[in-house]
Amino acid sequence: MADDLVLEMQGIRKEFPGVVANDDVSFDVRRGEVHALLGENGAGKSTLMNILYGLYRPDAGEIRLNGKSVSFSSARDAIDAGIGMVHQHFMLIPVMTVAENVVLGTEPVRSGVILDEPAAAKRVSDMARSLHFAVDPKALVEDISVGQQQRVEIMKALYRNADLLILDEPTAVLTPQEASDLFEILRTLRREGISIIFISHKLNEVLDIADRITVLRRGKTIETVPRKGATEASLARAMVGRDVLLRVEKEPAQPGDVLLTVQDLHVRDDREIEKVRGVSFDVRAGEIVGIAGVDGNGQTELIDALTGLQRIESGKVSIAGRELSHPNARTALDSGIGHIPEDRQRRGLVLEFSIAENIALHDYAKPPTARAGWLFPRRMVDRARTLIREFDVRGGGPFTRAGSLSGGNQQKLVAAREIDRDPKVLIAAQPTRGLDVGAIEYLHRRLVTERDEGRAILLVSLELDEILSLSDRILVMYEGEIVGEHTGEVSEEAIGLEMLGGRERTAA
Amino acid sequence: MTDPGPSPSPEQAAEASTLASRLAVKQRAGGIAVPIATVLLAFFMGGVVVAATQHSVHKGLIAYRDIFNGAGLNWIFHPTTNLLDISAYNLSQTLLQTSTLILTGLAVAFAFRCGMFNIGGQGQYFMGLFVANWIGVSLVGVNSLAHILLALSLGTLAGAVWAGIAGVLKATVGAHEVISTIMLNWIAFWFGSWLFGDGGPLQNTTQPTVPISGQVVPGARLPDFWGVQGFQGVHIGVFIALAALVVFWALLNRTTLGYEVKAVGFNPDAAAYGGINVRKNLIRAMAISGAFAGLAGAIDMLGGTTNYQFGTLDIPFSQVGFLGIAVALLGRNTALGTLLGALLFGGLLFGTTHGLNSGAVIQPELAGNLTYMIEGLVVLFVGADVLILYVWNTPRRLLRRRAKPATSTAQLPA
Amino acid sequence: MSTSWTARLDNPLSARLRDAAITGYLGIFLGAFAAFLAIPPIEARTITWPILIGIVAMLLGVWTIARGRRRLGWGAFAAGLLGIGLGVLATYSSTDNLNQAFDATLVAQTFGLATPLIFGAMAGIFSERSGVVNIGLEGMMLMGAFWGIYGADKGGTWVVGLLVGAAAGGLIALVYAFFAIQLRSDQIVGGTGVNLLSVGITGYFFVQLYHNAPVPNGVSLLPDVNLPGMGNFLDGAIGNLSILTWAGFALVIVTYLVLFKTPIGLRIRACGEHPRAADTVGINVYAIRYSCVVLSGILVAIGGVYLSEGPQGNGTFIFNMSNGQGFIALAAVIFGNWRPAGAFGAALLFGFSSALALRLQIYSPQAGTLFRMLPYVLTLVAVAGVIGRTVAPAADGKPYVRQ
Repeated sequence: MADDLVLEMQGIRKEFPGVVANDDVSFDVRRGEVHALLGENGAGKSTLMNILYGLYRPDAGEIRLNGKSVSFSSARDAIDAGIGMVHQHFMLIPVMTVAENVVLGTEPVRSGVILDEPAAAKRVSDMARSLHFAVDPKALVEDISVGQQQRVEIMKALYRNADLLILDEPTAVLTPQEASDLFEILRTLRREGISIIFISHKLNEVLDIADRITVLRRGKTIETVPRKGATEASLARAMVGRDVLLRVEKEPAQPGDVLLTVQDLHVRDDREIEKVRGVSFDVRAGEIVGIAGVDGNGQTELIDALTGLQRIESGKVSIAGRELSHPNARTALDSGIGHIPEDRQRRGLVLEFSIAENIALHDYAKPPTARAGWLFPRRMVDRARTLIREFDVRGGGPFTRAGSLSGGNQQKLVAAREIDRDPKVLIAAQPTRGLDVGAIEYLHRRLVTERDEGRAILLVSLELDEILSLSDRILVMYEGEIVGEHTGEVSEEAIGLEMLGGRERTAA
Repeated sequence: MTDPGPSPSPEQAAEASTLASRLAVKQRAGGIAVPIATVLLAFFMGGVVVAATQHSVHKGLIAYRDIFNGAGLNWIFHPTTNLLDISAYNLSQTLLQTSTLILTGLAVAFAFRCGMFNIGGQGQYFMGLFVANWIGVSLVGVNSLAHILLALSLGTLAGAVWAGIAGVLKATVGAHEVISTIMLNWIAFWFGSWLFGDGGPLQNTTQPTVPISGQVVPGARLPDFWGVQGFQGVHIGVFIALAALVVFWALLNRTTLGYEVKAVGFNPDAAAYGGINVRKNLIRAMAISGAFAGLAGAIDMLGGTTNYQFGTLDIPFSQVGFLGIAVALLGRNTALGTLLGALLFGGLLFGTTHGLNSGAVIQPELAGNLTYMIEGLVVLFVGADVLILYVWNTPRRLLRRRAKPATSTAQLPA
Repeated sequence: MSTSWTARLDNPLSARLRDAAITGYLGIFLGAFAAFLAIPPIEARTITWPILIGIVAMLLGVWTIARGRRRLGWGAFAAGLLGIGLGVLATYSSTDNLNQAFDATLVAQTFGLATPLIFGAMAGIFSERSGVVNIGLEGMMLMGAFWGIYGADKGGTWVVGLLVGAAAGGLIALVYAFFAIQLRSDQIVGGTGVNLLSVGITGYFFVQLYHNAPVPNGVSLLPDVNLPGMGNFLDGAIGNLSILTWAGFALVIVTYLVLFKTPIGLRIRACGEHPRAADTVGINVYAIRYSCVVLSGILVAIGGVYLSEGPQGNGTFIFNMSNGQGFIALAAVIFGNWRPAGAFGAALLFGFSSALALRLQIYSPQAGTLFRMLPYVLTLVAVAGVIGRTVAPAADGKPYVRQ
């Protein structure tokens, strides 16, 4: 069986300015197996697969498909060679139908020029049936569910006769039910002899579906193991390189007065869909409350409502006892809320502004920075200098363009600005996304410090580790409601279960 | 579990997604060298056209020399104060043209800083001109200073309102300001044709068959400070334009309004997050932008560049609003850059249209169109991100290549 | 998240909005109808009908606003008001004047004036559907107008003129495409540059070659298509349209078929909606965008040839002849929601308003001049999005970067 290799990648190297994404990576896939590629964010999994799919060219190394050496210069080459890819961010056109999306590029024609729509629709429904799911070929992609969209992506690959299918973090956007449906489909495909590469950083899934697992870390192959005998702990150790779970050192919380009260909050998003459905909780001075949940369960809309960026449909929000009625961004900020937004480049900073100008982003119109509309840049610069020193922001001075700082320093800049405003309530959304370990440690320690200073901190994060590590109290949000509250020690499984709606996942 | 961090994309330098930030990137990449190179390239290409059509490279060069003289720049080498001397006269007219272009350039530049493309400078200019004409002709016997101030301020206001319409449309219903300002240009065009045409409300009363406005009364005319009054001397509008440059700079860099405008231009999301009212600023920026252009029109009306009158037949030939686009883009939307760009195009415009004497190698009409070609080329080149970044990054690239021997099939992304 | 998509469809809100769309459009239609009643051929000489129908339109507008479609509702309300106003005005005009203004040749003039707009609109649709905003339509049309005359003059027949004009448009479109696609220039700035450049080039060569005098007499003009004997009204309306006008009608149909019924059309639209998706299935996004931009240059230039070589131009060229019609064509694209049929309808509407403006000169030259503003005002209304939310191709205007 070892000779029946459908794919071999040997010694692959790929470098980008400043980072070696793949460093002498070797990896192979047997025919008809599900092979998981496991690793943390930035380990090099996506890069490797993009190389395989012809979107990047490797700096060094060899790829062999069915024993023959190949070199792809475009996705078309890879497709023609029988490789199909389901990307993490779907390559589907929302305003076109399922059938149009599937046949794009290899359309069936009638009389040479006319697009044969009925034939396309038929092929799509035939394919769907053989995979045991139903989809309307004439439905617009924007109108079907995310799980169905993913199946359309799979059909796209199969339509082009792929016998090697690459799935990049496929369950990132799925509900648990959809994920298990997906695994059923994968098992069906495996039975048909199609080989599957499954990229993930979720240990439990990998153990569920994979036949063999390859672990990548920092661009290098660490090990390739069969599923039998692998455990979550052994895989985690390989992924991270040390025994896991970095927990922040902190004293137990000493909660004081209630500083943030949220009562029966209802918020709709821009499409008029209710995303926050009657949420109530409070946060006291001197405690960190963490909200855990899968992305898209209303956390974003909750924060937007609290910070005045989204309209509150009904419910009450109070800061230190004073009600915040119909807040816009300015009134929310002036009432004692600090907000470290989840997308620092889009929301938190004006990258073209200097550090000093960014520090002034909320308070540029107030004395001493400005008086009666007239701006005093010197004051902005002075304040910036102080904060740069205090928060150890590296990469430049007050006049440096914010865009030239590294991610970690940008986030420190945002945190510096927010904390310096002396907020009563500090909301941190995804504060360590995309940061290196050093910056993460700094921010975590800083949040604890601010907690000890008596601020009420509301932490929203998609990384369960971060929530578990930092929070004094954990709330779990699912489909717009708080479905669980925990203080003290609690297991990852319990929270994980609540995050998924508390429903039992039906295994294969 | 969404984005696995920033993928190592070599395109990060060009990642900027708002108009204002893209233009700012261009400004950083290359400093002043790039605008100069752009101009030289545009002039070169224009020269090629002239040489090709005149069938002589020599003539091409001479054409530029004639334009140079036409702009009065030869005065620098033989200065006189007698305005009757041709080069002095040409220079004076170039200065007048420049001051108009400063203002229309500032109009475009200010809007760009807020991320908007104001192509409506021509229409806003017209509105300022029409209103100034109305005030300048109608009120008689009013104190001169008050008359001038009234005409100028109402003209400025007219331009502000005209641009403000586009601003409101953008802020409320998201209408793209490019289309709406262009449409407003044409509406102003026909409005003017109606105003000064046969039977129109502002048509002059002395010659009922000529579609031309009344003449601005002497009391409302801008005084000259160089030259004989009434003989197309250089009027104080020049100082107003220079003052406008200072106002522009101060607004953007020393007021909270400027801070907001820039923030909205660079990143509306972050601006909103910071508490800034994005819609209000879009409208404000367009209104201020239009104010500059309207002021330009008012000054031209009261300054006598068209003999204190304006006719429907003058309308199609006025292009100062559009030249303002090239001026602003060339000047990278800064005050100093606008000044330099205005000088360049002012010289070019006057030098080609009126300054050429009959002995010139190239006809004035031809030369006038040469200006538009050069202008078009400049605007076209200015928009090219990658070209500039590519050139800017060349030294860095060469260093990298020299440091690491190339071993592979590495491809720089297209 | 799985519930959100299906929930949106079942949401009672959607059903409400759909009804409101019907009443809104009906209101606009009735408003137009109210004015239509007062003019030939119906010419109901009483003001009661326009007023009644106009009021119904306004009520429908209010109803639409209440049901959630605010912009459409205000559009219907305004249409009703306008219909009443115009209907009353027409009723109080003399029948002679009305008959002179509103006769069969008005239809012919509408088609004629709409012709360059139709070509421009189809050009704009091809370009924008592939993802490239083409603000330079104005300049490309101008190039066609001048070089078309030049070709007809030097080449002897209008066919040569058409070819040369089209080639000129295609060439400058290629330059624009290079800047927009290859150099990833800001497309609006680039398009403006093309417009300015075209004014300069055509002006320069016009002076150079023809010394600023009208083009020599006897330049071969575009022929008309004579359809005899169809009865009075039809004869006047469509019996004598230019060949390019008929070509324009055909072009609309061809554009629709190509874009929506052929594989290449599917790929073009994919490039405009999600170029990366298209790339990953092996479609050459650059090639498609280049082709579409050059095609759009060719098409709009043909529309420009009509300006100078057709019945209105009669073989003359004037400085800056396109006069904003390239932009109106672009507005027609937006008005028509980037669909050929919609843009065609918008082009006809704009053509009609221009034709009407010329007709109204007989009432008073001043009013005629004011009326010339109408196409531009209508365009403003269009971009203000009165007619629902227009949805541009998703990747329109964003340069595509292959990695």
